[in-house]
Amino acid sequence: MLNDYLLTVISNIGMISMIAISAYLILITGEISFGQQAYFGISAYAGSIATTLWGWPFWMALIFGSFLAGVAGGLISALTVRINGIYYSIATLAFAEMVRLSLLKFSYQFEIDGEWIGPNGSEGFGEIRWIFENDISILEYTLLIYLVLFLLIAFIYLIEHSKLGMIFRMLGQDPLLASVQGVKIIRYKVLAASLAGFAAGLGGMLYAHSFTYIEPQIFNVMLGVHSLAYGLIGGLGTVLGPIIGVVLDIGFLESIRGIQGYRMIVFGGLMAVMLIFMPRGILDEKRVHRFKKFWEGKTHV
Amino acid sequence: MLEIKSLSKHFGGVKALDMLNLSIHEGEIFGIIGPNGSGKSTLVNVVCGVFPPTKGDVVFSGKTVIGCPAHERLSSGIARTFQNIRLFPGLTVWQNLWVARNSIEDIKSESRVSRWLGKNSKVKKEIDEILEFSSLAERADELASSLAFGEQRRLELARATATKPRLLLLDEPAAGMNQDEIRDLDSRIRQLQKKGTTIILVEHVMELVMGVTDRIAVLNFGSKIAEGTPDDIQKNEAVQEAYLGYTEED
Repeated sequence: MLNDYLLTVISNIGMISMIAISAYLILITGEISFGQQAYFGISAYAGSIATTLWGWPFWMALIFGSFLAGVAGGLISALTVRINGIYYSIATLAFAEMVRLSLLKFSYQFEIDGEWIGPNGSEGFGEIRWIFENDISILEYTLLIYLVLFLLIAFIYLIEHSKLGMIFRMLGQDPLLASVQGVKIIRYKVLAASLAGFAAGLGGMLYAHSFTYIEPQIFNVMLGVHSLAYGLIGGLGTVLGPIIGVVLDIGFLESIRGIQGYRMIVFGGLMAVMLIFMPRGILDEKRVHRFKKFWEGKTHV
Repeated sequence: MLEIKSLSKHFGGVKALDMLNLSIHEGEIFGIIGPNGSGKSTLVNVVCGVFPPTKGDVVFSGKTVIGCPAHERLSSGIARTFQNIRLFPGLTVWQNLWVARNSIEDIKSESRVSRWLGKNSKVKKEIDEILEFSSLAERADELASSLAFGEQRRLELARATATKPRLLLLDEPAAGMNQDEIRDLDSRIRQLQKKGTTIILVEHVMELVMGVTDRIAVLNFGSKIAEGTPDDIQKNEAVQEAYLGYTEED
């Protein structure tokens, strides 16, 4: 039943969900980032260098890569926080392309067992052998991915049900009103971007160790566009929204063999239809609110 | 309580406000009227700190507020409503009031969890009272975006009162309202005055302004052309000319 192909699809859903959550975090604060793939890539490279070349333990490398991605997210946000709308989107795209092009020039290799290993520009970075060296089966690695995803979702869920989450939503819904009410806009936008960088970083590092080979081309703009689309399709009312988007695309469109060649056409069409009829996705704020009231009965907040 | 001294605001070559002087007394309802583009909304925005004036001073309770950011003016007691309704559409009615209340005083007296849950009993009581006053108690758990237009206007007013203002600026609160709603707004404004709030009412709906205000200033091209009681203003020739383009004698 759980054959390798199915497991690969399931683990892909898990890893891509993390970059979708990353794009979602920026979306709820009211901006559209075309650059979350950069943080996915930064962590994929940094985390793989840590395990493969420096011999770090896996978990340490995962935290290191994601942390680095989070710091990068925060720094870029600090530079772009004063620009809005389409200009912000262009700036994020430009930065992400800068990262990708830098990786094409980036070479950092060690000789291990007579072989040169490490990232080498456009040739990519192969031999990320952690899962082989530790004899991790695909099933085990999938479970590991979902453990990380579960922790990430729980973390974001807690944030969304705190004052911080309310502040993120205030920024997205009316930044002028939020600032009149004393919200430090810059501080919270940078914080949201750091969290988003971290979330994408988790996915990127896991991705590199799942495929054992990465190259700069993987982290191109289409990855960022997809992660945006997942939130917009799945819904911006809850962190589960972007995951629904991923499941629809990777779990459904990519897996049905008959339509594989047409996937992008179907996906693009779906995106267009969604933006017209459900501009904030399937699980938008209104539907999420209705579900909440249904579950909790009538209580405040 | 609020002194506006030689206030000017220029946008490029346009003088939205031109050497304006106004003095608003504690506890009164002060109307500001004038044709479109006469600088009424600019005045509200300068007083509330949306943008700085080109020249002049705004003194609130003896202290200048020029240079203070908008949120500091809010905590010092200057609140407003917006001409185009501004609410957090994805937050509930209750949450909208809660974040407003939280903006003047970080509610620290109880634990973090109960704070965001709004279980702080004192604050909760205050918000419940405001909901009651605004006839929104039954809508407390609805998203602001699912309220009817009139309810959204009431929520805006409730949001402003949640910050416990001493001075409340209402920027065309009756725009788009029907007769019943205007009468309802009239009585709410009077009730707020009774509670001790000073109110500046910028409005086009004459029925409301003439009925509810104590004094009125008339602006035209950013300057004051008349000031006085509603009766004085109705008889004033300069006002008739500004509004109608001619006087009765013409």
